[in-house]
Amino acid sequence: MKSRTSSTCVKQVLRGLVIGAALLFTQPSHAASCCGGGSASSLIIPKFYTQELAVSFNYEQYNGQWQSDGSYVEDLPDTDLKQFRLNLGYAHRLSSNWQASVVAPYVWNDNTYSGLESSSSGLGDISLNAWYETFDNIMCVYEVKDIKDLMPAIYVGGGLLLPTGKSAYGGEVSDNFDITGRGFYRLDANLLMDKTIWPWTMIFEFSYGIYLERPVNQEYGNYVEPYDKQLGNRRIGLLSLGYTDFLEELDTMTYTLAYNDLKEDQGTINGATDPTSGFTKRSFTFTAAYATMDKEWIVKGSIHHSIRDDNWGSNFPATDIFTVELIHVIP
Amino acid sequence: MSFHKYVFILLVALLTGCGDLNPSPDDLRPPVDTSQIGSSVGQPAPDFALFDTLGNPVTMSAELSGADGIVLYFTMWCPICDSHMSHLRTQVIPNFPKVKFFIIDFVSGTISDSLTAQEINGYTDLTVLVDDAQEVLNLYDANMGITVVIDSTGIVRMNEYYKDATKLIDTLTALP
Repeated sequence: MKSRTSSTCVKQVLRGLVIGAALLFTQPSHAASCCGGGSASSLIIPKFYTQELAVSFNYEQYNGQWQSDGSYVEDLPDTDLKQFRLNLGYAHRLSSNWQASVVAPYVWNDNTYSGLESSSSGLGDISLNAWYETFDNIMCVYEVKDIKDLMPAIYVGGGLLLPTGKSAYGGEVSDNFDITGRGFYRLDANLLMDKTIWPWTMIFEFSYGIYLERPVNQEYGNYVEPYDKQLGNRRIGLLSLGYTDFLEELDTMTYTLAYNDLKEDQGTINGATDPTSGFTKRSFTFTAAYATMDKEWIVKGSIHHSIRDDNWGSNFPATDIFTVELIHVIP
Repeated sequence: MSFHKYVFILLVALLTGCGDLNPSPDDLRPPVDTSQIGSSVGQPAPDFALFDTLGNPVTMSAELSGADGIVLYFTMWCPICDSHMSHLRTQVIPNFPKVKFFIIDFVSGTISDSLTAQEINGYTDLTVLVDDAQEVLNLYDANMGITVVIDSTGIVRMNEYYKDATKLIDTLTALP
């Protein structure tokens, strides 16, 4: 459903601000967890469990932007840009070491720009992932007795982002408020290393994504001279440290602080580099997660914070993302 | 039905579903009547009158006098706009001294708000026109990032997204 209460200018908000940022964080967020329970950006079933269902809700608040030279600039007066996302995720174990997942976001935009108001909604880009667990047993330990106890749980995987959202280049777009996706397929190679020595957990994750080139024959509802476009390769690095506090009846609270580093290279138009594209962003995420003793139910809350200062990003909006998530893991 | 079959059916449904999943390379632009005033390439450009952020009146017809042409860039002061305008300032404007370049601010509601945005974003060296009623935006069927080139005879030579400016530079180079 879409409603419009302003003149055309507010329609433009999503192109510049929403496309770049919000759609990068559509997957459920996970705190550090035991023995392969997930990372900050992926839906992963713990070892020996068969299925996982996740529902998360994001609220993203825009707070200025980084210009192309890295300088931070505040929003214009009377500006309030927000995005809400409901993410539904499902993961299924295919074999003892293989699992696959799908995450589908639904996006709402609610913006006030220079005093004008507008809102829109639509399906976002759906992501598919597959993971291979390189280990056969639980890798968490309570103490290090042997060098083998330092071995982390290592996952390698691949992902595919489907352009199921409404982008600037698709036929469904009549104005910019329809935009909920980037419009490009992306293939990801993922690596995740997760080590828990109770009560501490450290996670390192790296993802490298390649957007596929596509033809473009319309922009924002208008047909244009056809050309080929490809977004730049994308890499995300994440390093997190978590601490788990055991509660009564062995329920747990886990607190995690993560550092995220995102970079997208410059893209191409008809094979030539587009010097106006590409961006960077560095940010922090704090997560608190409550898990029942059997780890079948997990509730999480997280804050993804952008540092509003020079050189913490470039060519990108600065946002804070607040997330709540409910996860059910099925043995 | 197994999980694998569900996934397969979902993929087939998605791949046949919408334009972005199966994009077309065909040129579907409608024909243009070049005898009518309009915003499309080849048409006589509609005249306009705006104030700049210093309060000076600016009209298309007056600015075309003595110039090879004019360029309009529509901004909303977003990160992509900044990237475009930064590129425009350093890579395009210096090479076309007989062309006049104007930034069209269609989001700031007043001249003072537009001047504030211009100063905050560091573009006081460019001429920013305040389209507070979005008349020019609508006249040129524009939105953020759209770049319009009008030659000295008042004909629209380009009206499309800035992208990497290759088309803009080619168009300006070909101006009579």
